[in-house]
Amino acid sequence: MPIATEEMTGGITRVILDGKLDIEGAAAIDLKMNVIAGSRKAVLVDLQKVSFLGSMGLRALVAPARAIKGRGGKMVLFGPNELVEKVLKTSGTDTLIPVHHELQSALDALQLP
Amino acid sequence: MTGNGTSQIQDQLALRSRLSDMTQLSPWIEGLASRHAIPGNVQFAVELCLEEVVSNVIRHGYAGAEDCSVVVQFAMPRDGYFEFAVEDEAPRFNPLDAPELSALDPEDETRVGGQGIRLERQFANSVEYEPTPRGNRMRMGFSAVESPAAK
Repeated sequence: MPIATEEMTGGITRVILDGKLDIEGAAAIDLKMNVIAGSRKAVLVDLQKVSFLGSMGLRALVAPARAIKGRGGKMVLFGPNELVEKVLKTSGTDTLIPVHHELQSALDALQLP
Repeated sequence: MTGNGTSQIQDQLALRSRLSDMTQLSPWIEGLASRHAIPGNVQFAVELCLEEVVSNVIRHGYAGAEDCSVVVQFAMPRDGYFEFAVEDEAPRFNPLDAPELSALDPEDETRVGGQGIRLERQFANSVEYEPTPRGNRMRMGFSAVESPAAK
């Protein structure tokens, strides 16, 4: 799974995922997500191009989210499709990592004090 | 499916108990979807559930042993209804008997996983377990018309 990052104003890092977050996709992003989790405090994970999310993919999102939170930072998920969002809600992942469908609300949620 | 003969197996995928073998699942499901007109939302649900069941068999049922049998079977007992079964030769274990974990708690710093059964029950129309002479079978049914994953 391709993973790209984009630095936005306000110190926000946008992580853009493209494809399937299945076992292969999760393995493909694992290292880079861990690096991001260890170095960034405001992370927006753009899921607009993610067509599938399985439990391995959930782990690849939850672990870095917890690491960022543990360092006093924030992570949000942006633009999941309906089925991906259902996986996030069913698993309760959305209570740990807020989901936004409007970019501005996602950016606002990442403003650090 | 094979035990009571109610659904004739139309295709199957034989894997070994290595997580790397799971990469064969997605193209196999895509091929079935193309040949049997499985709608996209059902395909999503199938892949989600099979990934969960197969990974649990490999990681927990076989506890890391790498050359054991995991067979995924497909049947279409009637138009618009798709059955998938995962058969293994691991020690007998019914995951449906285990207490279902609650959804992730944002305050629980330790737990990442444990959502498999919850996901299966939310995305499949039916989830059943049966022991086999050599191990276990998890069978899941997916309806194109009444899919829990319907948009």
